[in-house]
Amino acid sequence: MSSTGTPQVRIQKEIGELTRSISGMVTSFKKLRRPLVESRDKMPQATDQLDKITQQTEVVTARMLDVVEQMTQREEDVIRGIDSIREQVRGGDLGEVETLAQGLIQKATDNLNDAYQIMESLQFQDITAQQMDHAASLLQNLENKLHGILKTLGAPGAVHEEGAAGGSRKARAFDPHADYVDRKADQKDIDSFFAQKER
Amino acid sequence: MADLKILAVDDSPTMRRIIVNTLRRAGFNNVIEASDGKDALAKMKIEKPNFVITDWNMPEMDGLTFITTLRSIDEYKELPVLMVTTRSVKEDIVDAMKAGVNNYIVKPFTPDTLKAKIDQMVAR
Repeated sequence: MSSTGTPQVRIQKEIGELTRSISGMVTSFKKLRRPLVESRDKMPQATDQLDKITQQTEVVTARMLDVVEQMTQREEDVIRGIDSIREQVRGGDLGEVETLAQGLIQKATDNLNDAYQIMESLQFQDITAQQMDHAASLLQNLENKLHGILKTLGAPGAVHEEGAAGGSRKARAFDPHADYVDRKADQKDIDSFFAQKER
Repeated sequence: MADLKILAVDDSPTMRRIIVNTLRRAGFNNVIEASDGKDALAKMKIEKPNFVITDWNMPEMDGLTFITTLRSIDEYKELPVLMVTTRSVKEDIVDAMKAGVNNYIVKPFTPDTLKAKIDQMVAR
């Protein structure tokens, strides 16, 4: 039996291979640290960015609503005013004024309907805000997981508490399936479902 | 219809404004607003509405908890409650019904749908 074949030598050889393997793993972990730290640091930025979008769309939507509310108020006033003029001129020979007034009423009514249609469309803000809240929640979850990995690896900067990287966290309440177009159930189906309950 | 006092509960200020304006156009001018279930319960004690429109996903207290709490109070057992939410999964709708919702609208809604539901619920 050769000396390289003894159990002692074989164990030494295996220990040596194991040491090299562990050393390789440590090197790999060290290489992992930087991208992990970078990813962890980017998560709060991405979350903040999503929050910013939500805030901005809310501000813009509020401005649009301000304008639409003013439009609807003005149009209602115009309709009432023209109607009053029409009543006053009815007694005289002012047929053309009557036609004009009717046309103006129609236009104002159309404007009013359009304005309400804009208002109806603005529901997108609530739906997209929920979608972004969902995305932000996923990012926060990833951030927490990355933080856990870094803490395990003993990376610098991993000692802060979970979620501390993003500062104080916004309370999020959202429907993960919120969608402006793609609904899981039609309103008609829901209506018949509730109608069955009534019977 | 004029004596209907509606409580609109939604955490989104945008949605509250849209609901209030849609209701106003439909002839319902007496509308109170609340930002979540907790706020709604507090407002109910003072304002005594006779109709509730509520969202589901809200911080502090969600719509389902709000309705469940509401139905546990004798005074509000028969109060008409309409849920207006983005949640359109069938299981959610069943849960809402079990909690005591009288009717359900999925966002985005049309003014006609909202008015029709209120008229239908009030007529009962």
